[in-house]
This record gives sequence, structure tokens and C-alpha cells, in this order.
Amino acid sequence: MVFGTVHANPDPEWRAICAYCVRSLLVLCLVSAVGAAEMELPAGRVKRSQGSVTVERAGQTRAVEVGTPVYVGDRVRTAADGAVGITLSDDTLLTAGPGSTLLINEFRFNTTTNDGNLLATLLKGTLSVVTGLIGKQAPQNVSFKTPTVVLGIRGTEFIIEARGDGE
Amino acid sequence: MRRATCLLSLVVLGLAACARLTDHVVLLPGPDGRTGALSVTAASGEMVLSEPYTGVDVAGGKVTRLSTSAAMVREAFGPLLDMQPPRPRFFVVHFEAGKDVLTPASRSLLANVGTELASLPAGEAVVIGHTDRMGAREFNDRLSLQRAELVRERLVGAGVPRDAISVAGRGEREPVVVTADEVAEPRNRRVDIKLR
Repeated sequence: MVFGTVHANPDPEWRAICAYCVRSLLVLCLVSAVGAAEMELPAGRVKRSQGSVTVERAGQTRAVEVGTPVYVGDRVRTAADGAVGITLSDDTLLTAGPGSTLLINEFRFNTTTNDGNLLATLLKGTLSVVTGLIGKQAPQNVSFKTPTVVLGIRGTEFIIEARGDGE
Repeated sequence: MRRATCLLSLVVLGLAACARLTDHVVLLPGPDGRTGALSVTAASGEMVLSEPYTGVDVAGGKVTRLSTSAAMVREAFGPLLDMQPPRPRFFVVHFEAGKDVLTPASRSLLANVGTELASLPAGEAVVIGHTDRMGAREFNDRLSLQRAELVRERLVGAGVPRDAISVAGRGEREPVVVTADEVAEPRNRRVDIKLR
């Protein structure tokens, strides 16, 4: 319709108006493209990195450095000389030692309500975890796996019950 | 003030010992001395850990309880723990009544926050504005966001990339001190800043 108007009205003023409309449309398209790219926010960011550390995402392997974003589905690998510290957006701290493979299976976090869930798998190596806001708000939604075990975070109430069971 | 975000720490170690795969899990206390709890589930069943420096060995689907100490954890996992990202740090700055103008004390505090953020590796800031209950809710929603945006501009001025700072305004919904409506409360006229 815009282009139709341009051809039908050779009047310079109309041309200017229509050029403006076309520019606006282009800007709108760009804005929505950026919006789509931002749909998937990173789950976290690499804060510390040592030696050789890579991330495998959608079949591609790239080197990791401080500031590299980490997304759901990423497989983070450290070489024999490598170690990496990642902070997720709910303040969970994940630190993997040398010779580790860590997979971020699931992560969802609502910064307003602190609702969300986290599942990560340590396929091999060592991992230190400091749980974050999801672990505080909904510990049952946080779990870690290795090939042989599943770890679940338990709330304060459960501590009391567990002690009772132990005796 | 918010509590420390750390509920619990744990160390997971999966390694191939001899021909068999053995996993270790150790529960650690948080920096405030509080320890959470952890359930470890393997093929043979579930075990719950709730005491600091307790752990389990998992081999051949069997879970065996083990007891460690701060010194043993330091010895085995010291370099790993040294690679942990910095823990989040929290700051609060306060504002003049009804305005996005910092109180004099908060002005100098904010300068320090900017310096600290710039020194963090890939530092990020989460900036949340708040108001007291003077004025309409809609007015306070706007004002709280203006306060947060002012803080962002100061941090950008301190050399922090704009995209490393997220801002939000929560209006009068999350007071530090609960008051009736239309009550002026300086402690609620604030912006909470989290650095990580």
C-alpha cells in the first residue's frame, strides 16, 4: 500500500511522507528481529575461566572466556588444565574443575517472583554448587545429576523430618 | 536487608576409581554457617544429608555415608573452591521524598558501588527501585523506575557497560518497613542494588 501511494502520487510532499513510512516499517522490522534474538536470555555468564574451556552449543564448539553467556542446552567442557566459574541469573554459582563436562539441561527464572527451575548434569569431573534464589524459593525445583546419582535440594522443614527418620 | 542468597553449598565429584565409577557428594555450610540439606538418590535408594561436611560415596549403585572435615575438603577441593565466582553483594541507596534525587550519604555510597562493579569479572548489576506509600500507586511505579534508571546512569558513568545493568521499578509494593498508605518512610525510598 505504501509503495502504491508513492507511484500514484508523484507530489514531493507525499514522497517524503511515504519515505518516512517505509523507514518506520524498516525500523519496526529491525526492532522485532532484535526482540526475537533476545527471546532466549542467557541462563548465566562465565565469571572465571582458567586453562582450556569450551562450550558446545547446537553442535558447534567454541572457546569460553570471562563474560561468555551460557544458555540452556550448553555443554561446558574443561580440559585437564581447565576450570570455569559460572554465575546463573538466580545467583547460583557453578564451578567446574579440570576434566569436567557440565550440561545445563533446564533453567528458567522469573526475576520478579523468583520462581523457576534448574537441572544440570555433571557427566564427569568435579562441580561445586552454591544454590541461588530458586533453591531458596522452591528447592524442590532444583536438581543435579551425575550418570549414577540424582541430587535434590531440600527445604528447612525437611531437615527436621529427616533427622527424625534417622533416629 | 535481604538475607544472603546462599542456602547451601555442595561439592560433587565423579571419578573413575579403579575399574568402577565412584561418585562422591559432600555437603558444605554456607558462608553464614547455615547448611541446607540434600537428598542423594542412586539405584539402591535415597540418602539425605543435612550436616555440614557429611557426604556419600556412590559405587555400583550403592550409597555409603562418609564424614569429612573442613580441612579434608580444603585439601581435596581447594583449587576448585578458589575458582568460584564472587558471591553476590548487596547495596541500598536512599532518596529524597517524592523525587529521584539521592540523599547526600547515598551519593558517595553509589560512587563506591560503581567502582566495585567495574572491578568484578564480567560484573553485572540488578537495580530495583522502590518508593514509600506517599502518592498514588501509578505515580510510585513511575518514580521507582526513575530512581532505578538514575542509579543505572551513575553506574554507566563509572565505566560499567549499559547492557550489564538491568533495572526494574516495584513501586510501593515491597517496603522494607511496612506502613499504612500515605505515610512517608525514608527507609522505603530506596534502590536495591545487587552486584555479581
